[in-house]
Amino acid sequence: MADGRAAAESIVGPVSAPDDVLRVEHIAKRFGPVTALRDVNLHLRKGEVLGLLGDNGAGKSTLIKILCGFQRQDSGEMFLHGKPYAPKSVDEARAGGIEAVYQDLALIDELSVYHNLFLRRERLHRPLPFLANREMKREARAALDEIGINIPRIDVAVARLSGGQRQAIAVARTVNSDADIILLDEPLAAMGAKEGAQILDLVTRLKAEGRVSIIMILHNYVHVLEACDRVSMIQDGVIALDKPTAETSVEELTDIVVNEYRRARMQEHGELSPAPAGDAEGSSADPSGS
Amino acid sequence: MAQAAGNPGASGTSTTPPAGGPAHARRRASLPARSALLERVLSLREGSIIVVTLLVAVYFSLSTSTFLTSSSFKTLLPFFAPFAILGAGEVFVMILGEIDLSIGATYLLAPFIYYKLATAGVAPVLSVLMALACCMVVGAINGFFTAVVGISSFVTTLGMLFTLEGLTLIISHNEPVGMPDAQVTTTMVKVTHVINGAHIVLTEAVNHVSTFAKVLGEGTYSELVWAVLIVIAGQVLLTFTRWGLYTVAIGSNKLGAGEAGVKVKAVMIRNFVLCSTAGGFVGILEAVRASAVEPDVAGANEILFKAISAAVIGGTLLAGGSGTVVGALIGALFLGILDDGLILKGVNADYQIFYVGLAILLAMTINIYVQRVRKGSHG
Repeated sequence: MADGRAAAESIVGPVSAPDDVLRVEHIAKRFGPVTALRDVNLHLRKGEVLGLLGDNGAGKSTLIKILCGFQRQDSGEMFLHGKPYAPKSVDEARAGGIEAVYQDLALIDELSVYHNLFLRRERLHRPLPFLANREMKREARAALDEIGINIPRIDVAVARLSGGQRQAIAVARTVNSDADIILLDEPLAAMGAKEGAQILDLVTRLKAEGRVSIIMILHNYVHVLEACDRVSMIQDGVIALDKPTAETSVEELTDIVVNEYRRARMQEHGELSPAPAGDAEGSSADPSGS
Repeated sequence: MAQAAGNPGASGTSTTPPAGGPAHARRRASLPARSALLERVLSLREGSIIVVTLLVAVYFSLSTSTFLTSSSFKTLLPFFAPFAILGAGEVFVMILGEIDLSIGATYLLAPFIYYKLATAGVAPVLSVLMALACCMVVGAINGFFTAVVGISSFVTTLGMLFTLEGLTLIISHNEPVGMPDAQVTTTMVKVTHVINGAHIVLTEAVNHVSTFAKVLGEGTYSELVWAVLIVIAGQVLLTFTRWGLYTVAIGSNKLGAGEAGVKVKAVMIRNFVLCSTAGGFVGILEAVRASAVEPDVAGANEILFKAISAAVIGGTLLAGGSGTVVGALIGALFLGILDDGLILKGVNADYQIFYVGLAILLAMTINIYVQRVRKGSHG
């Protein structure tokens, strides 16, 4: 039935724009018997905010993990600034300027705001091996001010900050680390309306600045339309829709998801077809816990 | 948090900078007048145990006539200096969220390695260094099994505890030994005195202890000096270097620290090495101080518990992520004052352990209460 299914949905083929910073072509990834990604084609333009949508288990997180070097694809190619890109580790991806921000992993609770911002890039009193805390505080304050994050005190442990502030600092750390492609995995999860708005504001400001390009996994279509330039919807391991947000609507996005759900249900009841690829992520090894 | 210790005055005030403005330009307003000395002390992580220790010291000063004397201070030293060093090492492992149960066994083994080497003709200082190198290997093995193989440090170091204690019994043949180069020798010296213009020659007994032994534990203040030096060095390492920062980071969020690029396994192994080395070093100090050492396995385990107690009483969390080396010193001081004070009060030896146990429970209760007050003062 694989052919029938493929025909029933639209698959976005490789697309590109002259100012692409990242291009993904025909990426596939299996975890044992389950297929997480079948044929994913994606591109990200410079300074663009791309919203990545999809139901739970559609393959969003797998895609993000491949992009940031945490996992490797089985087949397909990626291009970073036009050059082949095949990171073997998170460090290698980071060196190439791609960094993912995971809400749960990002921050060290017991460390201060500025130590978090400078983790692994500490300033030292060279040639002595001592931390230049004053310098880091000053630079951290300047960096936070620059992207408009208002943290009253940067010498407190981040454990004492709100969810929104923490997420903002995690994003700031990534921006501060000279990453030019940032992957945000559900940045608004478990966040109040006001805090969520702060993060979307931050994304908007970064977009206005034009230095970084962002791929953001979101669940709320209103947020997507508000903060993103373009939206890609991943469904059943393929990109089923790729449109500028100006040309789509909450209704269209909702319809696509509902139709997909109905078709999956009909297949389940109509005949004993193979399990949909969608279950892949749940059963995959997921050491990051995200 | 460790760095808060270096910046006690920073708490209590909070300035909200105007958005977008250069915030650092606005210096923090001077501390309000209500911030008295007590509050400053309390704003330290070790603040509460400092208060509790002072209370205990005041109690013994008032209830005994001998506690506040210099000779009493000298008898106090061996009760606390060794545990300050052991606690300092243990703090580095405990901040990681791990524990080293083998520190007492390392403490026991190291002087026997020293003895074997020194009696085989190796120079004393070199023997000490080689014994410490063995302790570092012990720490590296602890770290390897914990960080790389992934066995819980409780189990890893428990295994190491029995292994090392067994090894000590084997190589010592379960016999005490005198420490080479740490023996007191007495010689008779003729000393000429001038009394009322007349020269009188008298024979006097003079005790000799090698400089080596004086430095490594036998001198009255040797252990205290080592303890203070090691605690200061340890606290600087913890608060002002990347090593310390990464230690706190791993204890607080191991996965996140790894994600950020911290070499988690390397830091963990290093901290276990540090802890074992501290254990071995104190073992040698104590053996030299006593000029002899016996393979006392039960005593070694008591040493272990006191070292961990010193760290925990000093504010280091068993769960990791937080702790200070200075706190371990104060925790050790608290335990030492308790031991010494109870002896001075003439408490029966059987009752003493009983009272120490109760006192630890009481002190930790007060400690937690004071901590709550402290947190409250932060607002």
